[in-house]
Amino acid sequence: MSDLGTTSTTIDEERAEVVAQARERSRRGVTVEVIGLYVICISIALALAAILVAVTGGSWTAVYTAMLDGSIINSGRIGLTIGVATPILLVSLGTIVNGRAGLVNIGQEGQLVMGACFAAFAAARLDGPGPFVLVVAMLIGVVGGALWAGIAGVLRYWRNVPEVLSTLLLTTVAANLMGWGLRKEWLLLAPASGRANRNQVSEPLPDDTRIPRVTWFGNEFPISAIVAVLLAIVLAVVLGRSIIGFRLRMLGTNPGTAMRAGVAERRYGVAAMLVSGGFAGLAGGFMLAGGDFGNYQLVANFGAGIGFAGLLAALVARQRVLIVIFVAFVFGGLRTGSGFLRATGVSGRIADVVQGLLVLALLLPPAILYVRERRRALAATSARV
Amino acid sequence: MGDFFNALGDIATNESAYRNAIIAAVVLMLAASGELVAEKAGTINISLEGMILGGAFAAAIGQHAFGSVWVGLLFAMLAGIVVAWVQANMSHRLPADQFVVGLVLNVLVLGVVGFLASEIEPETNIVGRVRIPLLADIPLFGPALFDQPWVLYLVYPVVPFVWWLVYRTRWGLEVRAVGEDPNAADVSGLHVNKLRRQTIYLAGLTAGLAGGYFLFARAGQFEDSLVGGRGYIAIAAVIFGGWTMKGTVGGCILFGLVGSFVLTIPSLGYESVDPAFLAMAPNVVTILAMAFFATRVRQPSALARPFLRGLK
Amino acid sequence: MTQHDTIAGGDATSPPAIELIGITKRYGAVVACDDVHLAIRPGRIHGILGENGAGKSTLMKVLIGLVIPDAGEVRRHGTAIRINDPVAAAEHGIGMVHQHFSLVEPLTVWENVALGDVGRLDPRRVRARVGEISEQYGLEIDPDDRISDLPAGMRQRVEIIKCLRRDPEVLVFDEPTSVLSPAESEFLFNALRTVVERDGKAVALVSHRLGEVMAATDEITIMRDGRVVESLSTAEADARSLARAMVGREVSLRGDVIQTGSASDHVHRDRTAEVPVLRITDASARGRDGRVLLDRLSVDVHAGEIVGLAGVEGNGQRALGDVLSSLLALDSGRVEVESREIPTGRAGAMARAGVAIVPEDRHHSGCVLDFSVAENMFIADPERVARRGLMDRGEMARRAEALIDRFDISCAGPDAPMWSLSGGNQQRVVMARELSHDPRVLVAAQPTRGLDVGAIEYLSEQLRAAARGGVGILLISTELEEILDLSDRIVVIANGHIVGEMINADVDLERIGMLMTGAAAESGVPS
Repeated sequence: MSDLGTTSTTIDEERAEVVAQARERSRRGVTVEVIGLYVICISIALALAAILVAVTGGSWTAVYTAMLDGSIINSGRIGLTIGVATPILLVSLGTIVNGRAGLVNIGQEGQLVMGACFAAFAAARLDGPGPFVLVVAMLIGVVGGALWAGIAGVLRYWRNVPEVLSTLLLTTVAANLMGWGLRKEWLLLAPASGRANRNQVSEPLPDDTRIPRVTWFGNEFPISAIVAVLLAIVLAVVLGRSIIGFRLRMLGTNPGTAMRAGVAERRYGVAAMLVSGGFAGLAGGFMLAGGDFGNYQLVANFGAGIGFAGLLAALVARQRVLIVIFVAFVFGGLRTGSGFLRATGVSGRIADVVQGLLVLALLLPPAILYVRERRRALAATSARV
Repeated sequence: MGDFFNALGDIATNESAYRNAIIAAVVLMLAASGELVAEKAGTINISLEGMILGGAFAAAIGQHAFGSVWVGLLFAMLAGIVVAWVQANMSHRLPADQFVVGLVLNVLVLGVVGFLASEIEPETNIVGRVRIPLLADIPLFGPALFDQPWVLYLVYPVVPFVWWLVYRTRWGLEVRAVGEDPNAADVSGLHVNKLRRQTIYLAGLTAGLAGGYFLFARAGQFEDSLVGGRGYIAIAAVIFGGWTMKGTVGGCILFGLVGSFVLTIPSLGYESVDPAFLAMAPNVVTILAMAFFATRVRQPSALARPFLRGLK
Repeated sequence: MTQHDTIAGGDATSPPAIELIGITKRYGAVVACDDVHLAIRPGRIHGILGENGAGKSTLMKVLIGLVIPDAGEVRRHGTAIRINDPVAAAEHGIGMVHQHFSLVEPLTVWENVALGDVGRLDPRRVRARVGEISEQYGLEIDPDDRISDLPAGMRQRVEIIKCLRRDPEVLVFDEPTSVLSPAESEFLFNALRTVVERDGKAVALVSHRLGEVMAATDEITIMRDGRVVESLSTAEADARSLARAMVGREVSLRGDVIQTGSASDHVHRDRTAEVPVLRITDASARGRDGRVLLDRLSVDVHAGEIVGLAGVEGNGQRALGDVLSSLLALDSGRVEVESREIPTGRAGAMARAGVAIVPEDRHHSGCVLDFSVAENMFIADPERVARRGLMDRGEMARRAEALIDRFDISCAGPDAPMWSLSGGNQQRVVMARELSHDPRVLVAAQPTRGLDVGAIEYLSEQLRAAARGGVGILLISTELEEILDLSDRIVVIANGHIVGEMINADVDLERIGMLMTGAAAESGVPS
């Protein structure tokens, strides 16, 4: 709009050509330039964390060694990392769905907690064979997470409340609701089991409603990890190839055109939120029944930041489904690795710092590349636009 | 039901509840005043939470190291600006998404501050109350407004000053123009993204100050759960207030009152209310308030829309 | 209108205020400006006439520092100056009144006028200055009015005041009448005359409208393909030779209106008995801010007919386009396609009912820039290229390729991203998609805006061909020439209401002009 006067078609064409050439050029130099940028940014992030450790009197080599040992090197740790990465991956998948629709859901932590609560409530009350109870409880967990995200979706489309805020505010509400539920026996609190001073925890799942665990090459993990990867593949196909994915992408990039083309903003938007919350809810259910997070029961602070980790993983992977599998594994590794930090005398919270710095660093290369490409293209067409 | 209304009456006449409400409202007000400016220019500054938290921690370090509340407050503002610098340059110099940057910053600040606090464990304390004669004698509201830790009185100059900046200066006019129509502002010769970055620095300044204030007025001792989502509530107050200073301050007071009054319920002898409901009440009220008021107000037209042409 | 032969403020021999010498600007292989010489003299209105894409805009961008030329120089009173950005241009006394307004709507007049200045903000002084300028040039305005409450003509006054406030020596107007009614245009030219006569300022008036350049200027420079093809005094000019110079071939003239493309004879049949393909009855709609967008608007379009909707920009055309794109719901009234009522504001309803649209702002509701050309061709009905819910990329590419050939779209292939296409080719993609659905009705809103002559002729031909094929066409345009050239029947919109109707054969230009201002609203209700 800031264009002066009518734009000449020929010049537009020319500009497009120059942009295309710049793209072509950058595609040839892409590997070196892009990989170089990523390496530099990641190195800086790791160096900053190292400096922080050194300044506070710790040994940064010890810290990084411990984190590698704890996440992948020591025997059996990869399995543990996979177990932790599973809910992170699921949350990320949901985040990608709402991201494609142009929505910003940052309350997965709360949706995850609600999913876990719904699943725990259902599991404690359903009768029937264990596997059946397990599957139904997980599905009810999906419903719990979906409903919690759906609130934000409805508020956004009918009451103009930015979903970026409502999802976040609802996270605290969810945590408190779980805290309340864990004080009420008719809700989540485990029935008295002879102890006077009971912890506020839910009834542990019976053995036969737990997710089975498998062992591959000495690494043990729940089969929910396989389910998560399968879901990722399905989602990649749905988002990338299907009509639904096409419409969702249209809504996210150009709501006006989408509306004209028959994509109702409210219907698709709320649906995207429900799916996103559903994935988070499933993540919560899997955490409950998977065995890598506590003793198959709800405890205070059950979410443990997994919702936020999943959100960050999706952002780092720039909404690419298959990349997110890898990123989720890395983030899982940061958590399992931090378990080994105690021996180094450095606070385990350094893992949060590393994670935050890594995410920030990984946001930089695409932004820098975009600006550089754009500047190159514009410099070629005109001196100042 | 009678009990309920008795409780309500007891709360409404409880002087310390008002005092606590104002203490809680002021942290929101300081943060929200800067946030209002950032939103006027077109940024929803999610990293406000991180700015407050960083400010609170830096204030603790400042007082711990130099023994001075003033140095603490100065550190707090600097910390807010450091967070703001990252937010501003990543979202308004580089084209990274402002929500993503804000969220990551919150996580990062929490990590860094949590890590450092566990390594350093700064020693701090609440500052003393200063009673302003005469004004403090007004029944009910007097003590709440004028018999408070002295750092609270910072809000009296800061909020009007920010209002003056936005509505009475050339810079404020440019800020409003940039948030409403960046293209027209650009054609008129304004540097859209530069102005937006400046507003984020201002938000960092006031939010950092809010963190320092809160440490000295209420918490006394730093812990990483100190801020606990107040940044998000401050953002909600701006929306609730319809992007006006008056409305924003009103929203802060409302959310401060709710947050503080629910806490007095058990101490007044009504212990049947589960603490979980008290803890979630501010957020629930905030969401409801936005649901009722967000459709009635007009937001800055370019809110949360990046402006790309001016990237340099 | 002011007589151009009574030159007062200056004459053809006075030394130029600003001189462009040998300006050349290349974009890759394309030469936008080729050795252009131009002298703008104080006290004169200098018309720069040319078709879209002739290089006028690039030249003006050079003048205000948005484009740095490859060769040539700019001289101010004989000394060479460098203009690297708009700020430098302002310092050299060059001010620009923009075509698309540079005003911030929620702010007041005086706030907008103060925007871009430096120093302490003094509302009283700015208000006083606005009053001063408005009195001096007869541009009456209340400095405390909000821009959003003002009609287009008044907004332009604010633009002019904003420009004059910096007391420039040279004022550049870029297509200033595209948003004005004839009466407002006349008012504008009177004000311009005052500016040059009283203060000896120089005015450059960039336009593609022959009539207004003839009427309002003292000197004319005609550009074509980046070159100056003719430079003469307005007094010596005659419309026919100007038009020839501008287009580069013989063209026919209708009154003072040029006709591009072939002159078609518009045979008008009486269709009142037929069922219209599109019938809009008493449509009313308000914007989010409560402003009236459409006011009991009624219009019929029959199969095979081109109905031109004439009107000044901002009188409800956009809202009408939005209703027919399912983007806006009516408060009252109805839209029928072939006698079937279509719900308004329901996603995709219009498209399904057979209403195709080439929207006014294709980037808003016409295409998705981040999608490929092929994807853009199937946004409304991906089902056609899908099997069991999954899209068949091969099939999609194959069909898109056929459309690319048929509509002669120049692009790297079906997978080329939409943003890599030129404006004209993006428009062709939209056109191709809409026509490939066998629509009953085609709504074309400002379809040729910003396109060059070739693209305009092509699109006009497409519209005619579609009409011949039995599609009912509603052509929404602010370009009267375009409407007169293409339409069988003309309706005039003002303030969201249809205020007049006539068949093309007995067009009365004066009446259309009157109707467009909204002055004759009540008396001109269609029969």
